[in-house]
Amino acid sequence: MKSIKTIILILIGSLGVSSAFAQSSRPPFSFNLNYSVAQPLGSLSDYASKTSFRGWQAGFQYALNDRLSLGAKAGFSDFYERFPRAVYPGKGEDVSAVQTHTLQTIPILATVQYNFAGPEARVIPYGGLGIGTANMNYEKFWGEFVERENKWAFQVSPELGINVPFGKYSPVMLNANVQYNYAPYKVQEISNFNSIQANIGLKFHIQ
Amino acid sequence: MKRTGMILSAIAVGALLFSSCRKEPLNDMTEEESRIYVTNYDEQADFTTYNTFSIVDSVAVISNRDSKKELTDYDIKLLGNLKSSLQARGYTLVDKSAKPDLAVNVTRIDNAYNSIGYNPGWWTGWPGYWDTGYWGYPGWNYWFPGYYTVFRYNERSVAIDLVDLKNAPKENNQLTAIWNAMLRGTGVWNSSNLDSMTTAIFDQSPYLKASGN
Repeated sequence: MKSIKTIILILIGSLGVSSAFAQSSRPPFSFNLNYSVAQPLGSLSDYASKTSFRGWQAGFQYALNDRLSLGAKAGFSDFYERFPRAVYPGKGEDVSAVQTHTLQTIPILATVQYNFAGPEARVIPYGGLGIGTANMNYEKFWGEFVERENKWAFQVSPELGINVPFGKYSPVMLNANVQYNYAPYKVQEISNFNSIQANIGLKFHIQ
Repeated sequence: MKRTGMILSAIAVGALLFSSCRKEPLNDMTEEESRIYVTNYDEQADFTTYNTFSIVDSVAVISNRDSKKELTDYDIKLLGNLKSSLQARGYTLVDKSAKPDLAVNVTRIDNAYNSIGYNPGWWTGWPGYWDTGYWGYPGWNYWFPGYYTVFRYNERSVAIDLVDLKNAPKENNQLTAIWNAMLRGTGVWNSSNLDSMTTAIFDQSPYLKASGN
């Protein structure tokens, strides 16, 4: 979390530099970095119901025109829940344990975004879609003993958000969005990966 | 070049974040939370058909192909707890010469320096493990039915095996283990944890009782 703070400070520092290059139209290439909060849904929530406050997302985009852009993004979320001691029956077996359920996910997605307003707007709402793959690291702890399964899954993530430029035609914008994540991922008690995720951060258009 | 530099630094920063953001389950885990108590039982066995048991007079300590029998304060308390728990379930403690229905083998395993399999029974045949001859069946083997376990780790643990002597001459000169308990995790060799661990393994094995009970 300390490193997140450092990044944000660096970003704010470079904000001044970028404004010096402000011009009437934004350069097509942009880069964004966001802090993410994710809420597990469905069977993922049964496995580990706690909201993930340990997440981030980074991406870049190339604007084909004022409305449409293509890019890629990567991120991280960490789902976690600890259960009090219980007896887990198996076949000819009973295990008394404090279970800690964790799942770390690292999605890597190709993205397409469409702006619902022109570049001169004070607030630019947009819709986007990410399609790609996610690394799912399943780690279920029985006491201090871990049962681990690492897998890649297909992931699709539609997204709605806004970009708020710091001044007209500013290359730096505040980005806030909500995305839904779905991955057909089956491991043990998880039958599908579903989560809703909120991201907030900065987006820079750079030369 | 400026753009490439920014992207590369972003990737570097990203890699850093991957490793630092995760909540580590072991960081805030107490010793009590770290321990697991596994019991395995033969699904074919009817535990009410047994009435008497006998228990070994010391504990086999197996560590890194070196093994010995010990009787520390911990071992005395462990053997005592097992006796009273089995008696509370209606089994009668008898001398091993009095043809007990059940034999209780107790083993401490220090597996910190090697990584042997962890299926119940792997320690049978290990030098130092209770020889079948101790129970009056020299040259026989122990046999553990197809138990299932998920774990494999380097650690200290305790194994308690309940062996069927009543139906001993069944097949292949084998003594069948019908119940096994494993205590695993931090502090299992600590005497002050023995009472709660013994209670746990018997509580999760309600089927383990004599007919008269």
